Amino acid sequence: MTREFTRRNVLGGGAAMGAGLALGIRPLAAQGGGEIVLGGSIPLTGVFAFAGVGIHAGIQDYLKIVNDAGGVEGRKIKYVAEDTGYKVDASVAAFNKITGQEKVSLYYGDSTGFSKTINPELERRGSMIMAGASFASELNDPRKYPLQFMAGPDYSEMFGILLRYIAKEKPAARLAFVYSDTEFGRDPIAPSETLAKTLGLNVVEKIVTPPGSVDVSTEVLKLRRANPDFTIFHGYVLAPIPEFITQARQMGLRSKFMGTFWSMDNSTVQRMGEVAEGFMGVMPYRYYYDSEGKSPMLEKIRQMRPEYQSTAYLQGFVTALLMCEAVKRTLSAGKELTGANLKVGLNGIKDFDTGGLFGVPISIPGNSVPVGRIYAFDGKARQMVPASDWIRLGA
Amino acid sequence: MDWLFLTEVFLAGLGAGALYAVTGVAFVLIYKATRVVNLAIGEILMLGGYAFFGAAAGWHLPAWIALPVAVLSGALVGAVVERGLIRPMLGESPISVFMVTIGLGSILAGFVQVVWGADPLRLPEFMPSAPIFLGEAYLAPKVAYGFLAAMLVLAACVSALRFSRGGVALKATAADQGAAYSVGIDVPRVFSLSWIVACAVAAGAGVLVGAIGGISPTMGVFGLSVLVVVIVGGLDSMVGALVGGLLIGVVEAFAGTFLGGEYKFLVTFSIMILVLMLRPYGLFGTHEIERL
Repeated sequence: MTREFTRRNVLGGGAAMGAGLALGIRPLAAQGGGEIVLGGSIPLTGVFAFAGVGIHAGIQDYLKIVNDAGGVEGRKIKYVAEDTGYKVDASVAAFNKITGQEKVSLYYGDSTGFSKTINPELERRGSMIMAGASFASELNDPRKYPLQFMAGPDYSEMFGILLRYIAKEKPAARLAFVYSDTEFGRDPIAPSETLAKTLGLNVVEKIVTPPGSVDVSTEVLKLRRANPDFTIFHGYVLAPIPEFITQARQMGLRSKFMGTFWSMDNSTVQRMGEVAEGFMGVMPYRYYYDSEGKSPMLEKIRQMRPEYQSTAYLQGFVTALLMCEAVKRTLSAGKELTGANLKVGLNGIKDFDTGGLFGVPISIPGNSVPVGRIYAFDGKARQMVPASDWIRLGA
Repeated sequence: MDWLFLTEVFLAGLGAGALYAVTGVAFVLIYKATRVVNLAIGEILMLGGYAFFGAAAGWHLPAWIALPVAVLSGALVGAVVERGLIRPMLGESPISVFMVTIGLGSILAGFVQVVWGADPLRLPEFMPSAPIFLGEAYLAPKVAYGFLAAMLVLAACVSALRFSRGGVALKATAADQGAAYSVGIDVPRVFSLSWIVACAVAAGAGVLVGAIGGISPTMGVFGLSVLVVVIVGGLDSMVGALVGGLLIGVVEAFAGTFLGGEYKFLVTFSIMILVLMLRPYGLFGTHEIERL
């Protein structure tokens, strides 16, 4: 849009400014900025769309709560998102577009690949912090990724929580790791083998499945030979977990089956059918329906959306919450909204109550929130129910 | 040597290979008649899985009705696509038609996401679930029944090609379009028929694949795995699809067992390269195949 400087416009603008000053209204810039922008490369289509749709809704809902309450320190948060199809090049293009059009202070990235690719640019700009859908262990390094964080434990920490639970329940247990041959799948395997040894557990088999594989019969035969007490799946959402468990049980295996965050959504586990009974895994957040203790934020979510919301929704919601908390702490300290200041604000979060979304007060000493709990599926209740207390790593 | 274990791995490989083979038939039928490599076969397979899900879980129809609904929906898509998209492209460069099928695949993936959402889903159980033992060797029931169904479809396709008028017309068209025209064969109708049957077969295969591995808007990538199978077997050979499918299935099973899952694709693609170097038209394909 172009604007002509006619005599009428100039006179009109001058009169309005004069009237505003007379009434004590300060121009927006003098208030230290207008809206704060949260940009997002969101996978609304593609292989990660099952989560992207929920993440998108979660971010929107939390920002609505914040903005309806007047914003953060009086400043509204504006959400600008683009669909990426879960492709790194599209995510980068979305980042460039959004940051070219808006002054972005917060950003949500959709994948490990994007988080790693965009990191140098993030540091060069130094104007924002970023979180996203990735819980990659590699990103949990504040020296390499000083402006990034994740709204939960990284994948190795998730395994760490599972292994500590197993070591307590069945010392010297035999374990099998089943994982997809992807960056996501391979992420926690090597450090978790080491940790298992430290905890006195025996990793008796590691089974890799190629991405997109349908039939897992040969892999289940390997699992039967290994006969583990616990089998941990990682790098999957639903398939091939149900078929794996079905065949393993038909062969008489008594192993307990476990998963990590992205395979722990209640409706996803329900879709496993009969074999869902007893399926366990690690979750950093309370489930949508959880009524244990006080959880005012879950109450708000349930008021806004009476139907079940996925764990991906909660992930988006919690990420937006932590970002806004970082903004609040930065502005309260009278600091400018730069990436470094926002990260200091974020790392200042200590014993922080998230309104019951995490089951315990959280701290963010580095790039992750190393907290989680073991849940198991109860077929009668058709719900994931707690199977352990909250486990805090490094506590 | 644990022979029981080896037998079980072999049987599992045959089961997986049968799924490859039946999907490979869909590639072969279309290529044989029209010389089009249809890269949307994977997405039509996916559509079949979703059509079954919609009929069985959405409309609560019994499986014996939902299965024909899925197969017919595949046939319908085949007819519409051939008449609306592919036939106007006849005479254009193979790359153009190839790209149309890639675009079609994206449209179908987007369509199922709009209708059924992006979440991965499980098909309602419709196969017997009692484990199957051949002697002492275990065979997963879905894999075993999938194998049987795939073999029946393959036998039906081979018989139809050999004995039915449509099948003979398709073979004649494949051999020489001009000669087929001259003896009164309605070649455009043969094109339509090949697309309809191939897409129906792919949709049926989608139900089998979905029953084992679940369905999602991204399950079309299965079609790309099968493309390797038909390249190995020969793009215009039914026997090639069968032998290629079973061969790749068994080789992948042993590679996965003894080398690890990360080597499955390495071994598969190594076989493909080797076959292409020795027989560029595939194990059972005919020489005049035009490579893209």
